[in-house]
Amino acid sequence: MIRLAAVVLVMALMLLLPGTALAQDGVLVPASDLLEKGALFDNVEITVEGELVGDYGFRDDGFMWTQLNDDSYARDALVDGGPRAGANVGIGVRMPSILGEGLPPVGGYRLEGPLVQLTGVWRYHDPDRGGETYLDVSELFIVDQGRRLEEGPDWVVFALGILLLATSLVMWRRNRLSPATE
Amino acid sequence: MLIRPDREDLRIVAFALGRIFTIVAVASLLPLAWAVLGREWHPFASFLLMIGVFASLGQLGLRYRPSKVRLDWSHGMVVVALTWLAVPAIGSIPLIFSGHYGGPVDAMFDAMSGLTTTGLALVQDLDHIAPSLNFWRHLLHFLGGQGIVIAALVLFAGGGGLTLYYGEARDERILPSVRSTARFIWTVAFVHLVAGVTVLGIIAHQVLGFEWKRAFFHALMIFFAAFDTGGFAPQSTSLGYYHSGIFEFTTAVLMVAGAMSFGLHYALWRGPRRVLFKNLETRTILATVTFTMVLTMVGLGVAGIYTSVQGLTRQGFFQIISAHSGTGFSTLPASELAMWGGLAFGGMTIAMALGGMASSTAGGIKALRIGLTVKAITNQTKQLLLPEGAIVSTRYVQSGRKQLTPELAQSAMTVALLYVALYLLGAGVALGYGYGFQEALFESVSAGANVGLSVGVAGPSMPMLLKLTYMFQMWAGRLEFVAAFALLGFVYAWVKGK
Repeated sequence: MIRLAAVVLVMALMLLLPGTALAQDGVLVPASDLLEKGALFDNVEITVEGELVGDYGFRDDGFMWTQLNDDSYARDALVDGGPRAGANVGIGVRMPSILGEGLPPVGGYRLEGPLVQLTGVWRYHDPDRGGETYLDVSELFIVDQGRRLEEGPDWVVFALGILLLATSLVMWRRNRLSPATE
Repeated sequence: MLIRPDREDLRIVAFALGRIFTIVAVASLLPLAWAVLGREWHPFASFLLMIGVFASLGQLGLRYRPSKVRLDWSHGMVVVALTWLAVPAIGSIPLIFSGHYGGPVDAMFDAMSGLTTTGLALVQDLDHIAPSLNFWRHLLHFLGGQGIVIAALVLFAGGGGLTLYYGEARDERILPSVRSTARFIWTVAFVHLVAGVTVLGIIAHQVLGFEWKRAFFHALMIFFAAFDTGGFAPQSTSLGYYHSGIFEFTTAVLMVAGAMSFGLHYALWRGPRRVLFKNLETRTILATVTFTMVLTMVGLGVAGIYTSVQGLTRQGFFQIISAHSGTGFSTLPASELAMWGGLAFGGMTIAMALGGMASSTAGGIKALRIGLTVKAITNQTKQLLLPEGAIVSTRYVQSGRKQLTPELAQSAMTVALLYVALYLLGAGVALGYGYGFQEALFESVSAGANVGLSVGVAGPSMPMLLKLTYMFQMWAGRLEFVAAFALLGFVYAWVKGK
């Protein structure tokens, strides 16, 4: 009964909160709402969408942990000319290892990770895990596989660096040969 | 009459700065090598530029070898204050060109935060930053925490070591000479580096399931930030990324080791260990950690934020150790920390304000000054209760038995009051911009005490004046004011002196 009431409450909240939408398997909740109003979604099944970043940590207990970022960089990377939009907005996610096997490479430097929709139960201050907060994933849907990004050298910066290093070497040689006092 | 610094004074300062810049240029080869190994050519170019600037300025300074005069107290303080301004400025070059910062001020903010072991960050999209840049951010913690000037002392012979040593807010010499003390500090750091990275790396691989390479990358970054009580993390969710009690506990051990004075490290390594519990600073920090932890736990319990004892204990313990040691790691998002009101907020803010031990990598008022202040107040109270003319004498243990003199008590109280003023300065500026009192005070204490915990005020979009204020707080707080005042005096004497 309490669980039903919570679900109804969250559904009502969804309609009021900006940025929420209906996903394939339920209500799509922005990660920013989970970070700011996490308690409201405690033990409720939700769907989140974003890029998987960092590492895939496959543990001995049969679960895999990673991070899901729901920010502008998830769809428009800085390296690719995307706009600067502040710090990352991410949540921890846990899923059965079998769900995580075969996932495309996780996001990082020059790597846009897979864009996924994850459905699961939001565990807020989980008493069984020392008060941790995370999404306990039961379903995973890959929206986009992600891709490798290119970032070449900045030749002007490179040339300036070489020039200054050469200057310092010349000065070092001069200092060794004739230590100046003026 | 105010005497204007002459050319010889400037030559002495320039020569000492030249040595330090040369050392930093050599240290900067590490991220350059990292960029080569990772084939990260964009950051590679910017590291090359940074090294070029450090090296050429270093050689320029070394051209001005002073004729006879040795580095005196004021020169040393000015050198240290300038070093801690110039290194973040030049060290921000790779960050500026990375594209992850809103501008040069934001990049210098992070470099200053790194070097002063604060941990507040204005980086954008950290989760996609180049590993070599992430390494450089964390290496700044290591260079700042161990003392770049101290590194110069180890590698270069020459006079003036003592003033440079004290300028970097180190209060006690552990060994007879400053060079041997500096060497001991770096030895302690490297022993902890090997042990810490090995243990964290094995945990990251075996327990968290990371690949070996990534496991040791995380281990190295977390070690730099924990042992040097810095607070940067390789991922945007800080320590909350790892979801592991054992990883958090190991990190907490390193944070405590970093907040311990190097004198205490020496006692643990070589000296009689029973001294540990007679030490005034140890007793003070045990008392303040207990007090702030109880305050925070009760606050969290009353507010009902955690529904289990395990959750309350683990989260409360980690956050308090992080705050009191001046590290600034968090297992919670800033938005959640901002909701810790009442006693929990009080406990965290007091813990940050007090900080770690003197001559450690931690910031804040420091346990030694708190202990001395409490003893001085107790003395005053006893004096009032005793007959007129009675003399109250107090001794304390801190690297041997010492007498608490009125001058020492006054010095401790003055610096403590300066810290309070520094905390109020940042809070006042934030209040002026319309932030709430609680968040304004929390963030200001975090910056001034070089902690790095945030409730969301510090970010790329905060006002420019607030960014500059926090940078000043980080700099002045890290140098414990003396070197900062010496630089201001030097500049004033140059302008107004005759």
